[in-house]
Amino acid sequence: MEFYTQALSNVLTFWPLIAMIGSTLLGVFIGALPGLNPVMAIALLLPLTYSMDPLVALGMVAGIYNGSMYGGAIPAILLRIPGTPASIATTFDGFPMADKGEASKALKIACWSSAVGGIVSAIALMTMGPLLARVTLFFGPAEYFWIAIFGMASVGVMVGSDPIKGIMAAVIGLLIGTMGIDSLSGQARFTFGQTWLLGGLDLIVVLVGLYALPPVLQLAEKCDLKGLSAAQLKLTNTPFNKGEIRGLIPTWIRSSGIGIGVGILPGAGGNIAAFLSYNAAKNASDDPDSFGKGNPQGVAAAECGNNADNAASMIPALALGIPGNVVAALVLSALTIHGLQPGPQLFHQNPTLVGGFMMEMLITSLLILLLGGAVATRVFAQFQRLPGVLLVPSILTLMCVGVYVINGRPVDLWVMLLAGVAGYFLEKVNVPLAPIILGMILGPMAEQSVRRALLISRGDATELLTRPISATLAVATVLVVAWPLIKAVRRKRAIATKSD
Amino acid sequence: MKIKTTLISLTAAAAMATPAFAEYPERAIELTIPAGAGGGTDTSARKLAILLEEALGQSIAVLNVGGGGGSVGASQFMQAKPDGYSLFATWNSPLTTVPQLQNVAYTLDSFTPIASTSETAYTLCVDADFPAETGEEFLAELAANPDKYTYGNDGIGGTMQLAAERIFQAREISAIAIPFGGAGETLQNFLGGHVDIYGGSISTVLPYVETGKAKCLLVTSAADVPALEQASGLAAVGMPENETLLWRAILGPQGMDPEIVEMLGAIIETAVNDPSYVKFLATKGEVPNVVLGANLGARLQAEFDALAAVSASLGLGQ
Repeated sequence: MEFYTQALSNVLTFWPLIAMIGSTLLGVFIGALPGLNPVMAIALLLPLTYSMDPLVALGMVAGIYNGSMYGGAIPAILLRIPGTPASIATTFDGFPMADKGEASKALKIACWSSAVGGIVSAIALMTMGPLLARVTLFFGPAEYFWIAIFGMASVGVMVGSDPIKGIMAAVIGLLIGTMGIDSLSGQARFTFGQTWLLGGLDLIVVLVGLYALPPVLQLAEKCDLKGLSAAQLKLTNTPFNKGEIRGLIPTWIRSSGIGIGVGILPGAGGNIAAFLSYNAAKNASDDPDSFGKGNPQGVAAAECGNNADNAASMIPALALGIPGNVVAALVLSALTIHGLQPGPQLFHQNPTLVGGFMMEMLITSLLILLLGGAVATRVFAQFQRLPGVLLVPSILTLMCVGVYVINGRPVDLWVMLLAGVAGYFLEKVNVPLAPIILGMILGPMAEQSVRRALLISRGDATELLTRPISATLAVATVLVVAWPLIKAVRRKRAIATKSD
Repeated sequence: MKIKTTLISLTAAAAMATPAFAEYPERAIELTIPAGAGGGTDTSARKLAILLEEALGQSIAVLNVGGGGGSVGASQFMQAKPDGYSLFATWNSPLTTVPQLQNVAYTLDSFTPIASTSETAYTLCVDADFPAETGEEFLAELAANPDKYTYGNDGIGGTMQLAAERIFQAREISAIAIPFGGAGETLQNFLGGHVDIYGGSISTVLPYVETGKAKCLLVTSAADVPALEQASGLAAVGMPENETLLWRAILGPQGMDPEIVEMLGAIIETAVNDPSYVKFLATKGEVPNVVLGANLGARLQAEFDALAAVSASLGLGQ
């Protein structure tokens, strides 16, 4: 443990500090712009740092990664446009809060929750990394299948007032998820002979269209020529009321735990962490009906969950050499460039560098609190004051640039437009959009995992239920479906006994 | 036959395009990478591009066109002008493996081979208590127990799987292929005991060879690999002709000026052998390997034909 003191003194030098501060701000900026994503920024900037001190490079990665997870919440709250896939769940309660004139409060809660999630996760990485990495290995294809099913069951709970429409939306997502080359048979599905469809539809492209275009069109409908004055924006500093922070603590604990749990599983991700956290907060609440209508707990759960995923996702990467996402893969390549070998011996090879990177994950989470609250939020929130005639074309341009640079192909712009127009009309008829995205993420995960599991078990389906973790997850799935029902029955009984 | 046509068209193009060579390159070059930012092909191409920029005195703009296992980028690139300002940095799979499974718009003739840059073998590893200690014993154990063992690989019909199946077919081995999304995922499932055999890149599994958790017994190159002491090259088990590697190359669109091709080939050869690049490659378990021009075309064609035979017998493909 004493190498952390050494690591800390290395990290708290001029250049690594500058790198962390600069990149956290950059990260918030990238996260706040729909279409631009942290993976791209890190991939482009990292090669430039090969000749620098590795702590500068890694500090930059940590800052962009943590900063962008929070940054995604800003447009999610102000405009109902998630800046990153992981901030979809933030729109559920963040935007209704902003609508009620509590934008400033919502941003503050998002900022604090992001920081808390990031800090708890970084501490888990520093203290329990190798231990949690061992948990990762218990998860084979059968367990991944149940994780996906558990996630989908949670969607069922969050579809809102009209379950049929929610299920319809999820099915649309599942169908989109089957497009492209099937990774287990090599057959092309629903590609209509188009080469560009072989890889399926890109999640971010569909997401930007589906989520950013309808709010933009609604802004355009308002035909707002004036914009808001500084007073109307209500961005005055709203301090937390007494007991407000204490009320958020249970949600933070729960969401951090969920975020870390999802984070140590390679291939899951911040969006799943945010959805599960949101759902857990809703299930735990005494008043689940207030979710989706501007409940601060919803914002806290989603933002805490997605930031808690970050540092935890580095656990399998650093301790096992298994990158769970592209950012983790880039961190590993940065480490190998500097002569380190990710894997079980990494901690022994250069504990001060690895420890330094973990410290940087922690410090950049703290920086969110400082920079996010003081600088970023106030600056970015000013965009909301732009009149619609300026705001609408600006956002559209950003969306197009962001989507184009993902794959460098114009056809993605058409996909985005199509998804956006579809999303606009689906919203008009009250079909929720979140299940579409979850279907796209979880559908392929469930399908591929169950087929892999059956290949391994030579077609014996009982293997899916007889392994201890799969069995537990199966039971949890049943519970998560039944829980709202149980609660409703209980409440009815409570009311019945009271009136007796 | 196909190579001959390429050569004829190259000569024809040369006769017409000579004057352009004197000034080349006079503006920025666009380098298409048929994969998203951050992967193995992307990082090695970007690193090489920095060295090429210095040598050419022009900037190189990198364009990532991902999707379809590289076929989307390749299809888009084949339409570029063969003026030397559009280059394509790829690994072998989009050209030799993907066309076996997908109906792609390009053939090997759609490109002008310039130079290969680096290569690495795949490896097959088992748990420490697997009943085999050498490559030969490993193959014997698999042959004696058809369908008993599962092996993880980089994806259905991917180069890794075809590399393994080439060897298995030669020895009449039947093992169950479990396709994963990449070597990291395969490693995760191998370490967790969900599959019996790790099949994938060497650098990913190397740390576990050093701790003794993984026992790598075979590599898919003809020669042995120094980093894996226990593993046999295919020559050592008597089948050097079944070698399949992961390798990277830079190509142009069909019909490039041979003088530009030759000049670029020489510059790439120098850049690849630059000590900083060799060191960079070593961190990924790769070694420099430069094959130029027509020889590169021949290498592509030979690999294409061999993989076509394997995938046909696996019942993959069209």
